Amino acid sequence: MLSPTYFLPKERFPDFLNALKSLGQVFAPVKVSKQSYSFKAVEKASEIAFEALRTILPPKKFFYPQSETLVKFEDGEIKECIEEPVFKVIFGVHPCDLAGLGIMDTIFEDSPGDTHYLRKRRTSMIIGLSCMPDKHCFCQSMGTDCPEKGYDVFLTDIEDGYFIEGKSSQGQKLLADAFADKVLERAREAHKDRYKRFWLDRSEAFETGFKVDNLRSTMDLEWENPVWEELGDRCLSCGNCTPVCPTCYCFDLVDVAALSSKQDGSGDAERRREWDSCQFVGFAKVAGDYNFRPGPVDRLKFWYRHKLHGFDDAYGFKTCVGCGRCTVSCPSGIDDIVKVVNILQVARQEKDEGQPK
Amino acid sequence: MSAAAGSGTNHLPTIAVEGLTGCAGELLVILENLDKLLPFVRVVRFPFAQSKNEGGAVDITFVEGSVSQKHDLEKLKRIRANTRWLVAVGNCAVWGCVQKGALCKCKAAEMIEAVYGSAASSIAAEAMDAAPLDSHVAVDVKLSGCPINASQFLAVTASLLRDHLPYIVSKPVCLECKLRENPCVLIEDNLPCLGPVTAAGCGALCPSMGAACYGCFGPCEEPQIGAMTTILKEKGYEMEEVLGRLTAFGAVIPMGEKWQK
Repeated sequence: MLSPTYFLPKERFPDFLNALKSLGQVFAPVKVSKQSYSFKAVEKASEIAFEALRTILPPKKFFYPQSETLVKFEDGEIKECIEEPVFKVIFGVHPCDLAGLGIMDTIFEDSPGDTHYLRKRRTSMIIGLSCMPDKHCFCQSMGTDCPEKGYDVFLTDIEDGYFIEGKSSQGQKLLADAFADKVLERAREAHKDRYKRFWLDRSEAFETGFKVDNLRSTMDLEWENPVWEELGDRCLSCGNCTPVCPTCYCFDLVDVAALSSKQDGSGDAERRREWDSCQFVGFAKVAGDYNFRPGPVDRLKFWYRHKLHGFDDAYGFKTCVGCGRCTVSCPSGIDDIVKVVNILQVARQEKDEGQPK
Repeated sequence: MSAAAGSGTNHLPTIAVEGLTGCAGELLVILENLDKLLPFVRVVRFPFAQSKNEGGAVDITFVEGSVSQKHDLEKLKRIRANTRWLVAVGNCAVWGCVQKGALCKCKAAEMIEAVYGSAASSIAAEAMDAAPLDSHVAVDVKLSGCPINASQFLAVTASLLRDHLPYIVSKPVCLECKLRENPCVLIEDNLPCLGPVTAAGCGALCPSMGAACYGCFGPCEEPQIGAMTTILKEKGYEMEEVLGRLTAFGAVIPMGEKWQK
């Protein structure tokens, strides 16, 4: 049975926000500088930046925080830190970020499952919101332009209101309750027509992208393409491309000792998990100081491959969701994935055409 | 950790805090946090903070400042001979700071002449080219900062008190900046931010206030100076300003050396 769809007139949005607030703390994109947005706690609809396309950090930060204490060493015992998560509602998540959350879920749910991530993720509600692409959006190329998983409720902006779909059972319950409270109406045929037109218009609105069908072979066969050296020469190894990525999850574990007066030298300390980046020189350094990705070019190439091909064999999907955050967050302008893929594909095509049949 | 026989606080590990040529900023940070250390250590020498100071060997000595005068070097050698762990604290002790950075622009003799005039010759007889501690003695732990970060200082001390050499990473400031979700001042405001090539530890203090990082913690591990220079030049900064910023805090970097010649 198809679940019911709803219509929310924009003037009634504050009531819908109140319904969300009754579930838990609501977070939404907020403008933080002349061109940047960030998911922050909001109380009023006027604080929300509905126009935000991409926040500096993706919503992964709510479930996989930048720094998190995993265990504490106290009185000679190891105590796992499992906090009771507070219910969070994340509003205004676009399709690329929903895909990103779906990928993070798959990775963190994989056996044995990451308790710290999953507990927080399972006490949350994700409210998706439609968007129109800008010149850096290429979710269409990555096949992540339509909401599929990683969310509970999705709102499509149809001018004077929102067309609303529920995905999960907790999402459908929220909508049924809001309908009972007369915040939502049932979607009518006219709303459905405008909904269909929106998604057709949106699919025509993409300005940039590439064909994904030969991406796998291109990434393998163009491993020695001279473009990598050009990019490597400009790479700062600042690591900005990875914290901003909706699917980068690499971390460092650090033991932080606290001062202790114990005579035997034992005492309190904690083990923290902090976001790390494959772009840092120390990331691939192993015992004996050997580094199997010593130069910026080695690390950058690794990252590109990881995003565009690395997960094909293990999981059957690509971990790039086409949000364009890396492109806009790179001070050197070398994380333009679309531009780089186009260069590689053209090089591949030229070689293919030069081959005898 | 060695424990001297005795009563009262005498069983506690011993520390000393000493200063060479510097602004005493590190000594202040240590003084401000001394109450947290006092239950765990006995402060044998800290001339900046106490009038009663003893001689003899200690477990840990924290040394601030660069070696810029002959008596700095004599003092440093005495310190090294009398301590188990030698911790260089602050940019001066780890990299040489501005007094060494200035040597990228002119010779020490020219600076002394300009500052001291007719008294220059007697000053020059005592002066040395400013250098970090490890140019002269073996240093066990390097904790940079201008000033140092208090929580890093306490964690380093806690590790040493357990006989562990602390693990100090030199990832770039950009990491701390992104973790705080700051808008990038290098991208959005075209400021000459040195975050990509500077060691983190400050919590991205300046960029969090909308200002460019000026590199006071010294370089991160393998800073990409070539790329940094290229990007700042593309933003319209003159080579002289870029190199001046890169070398201001004393770090020896290939571009700085080239520029000096």
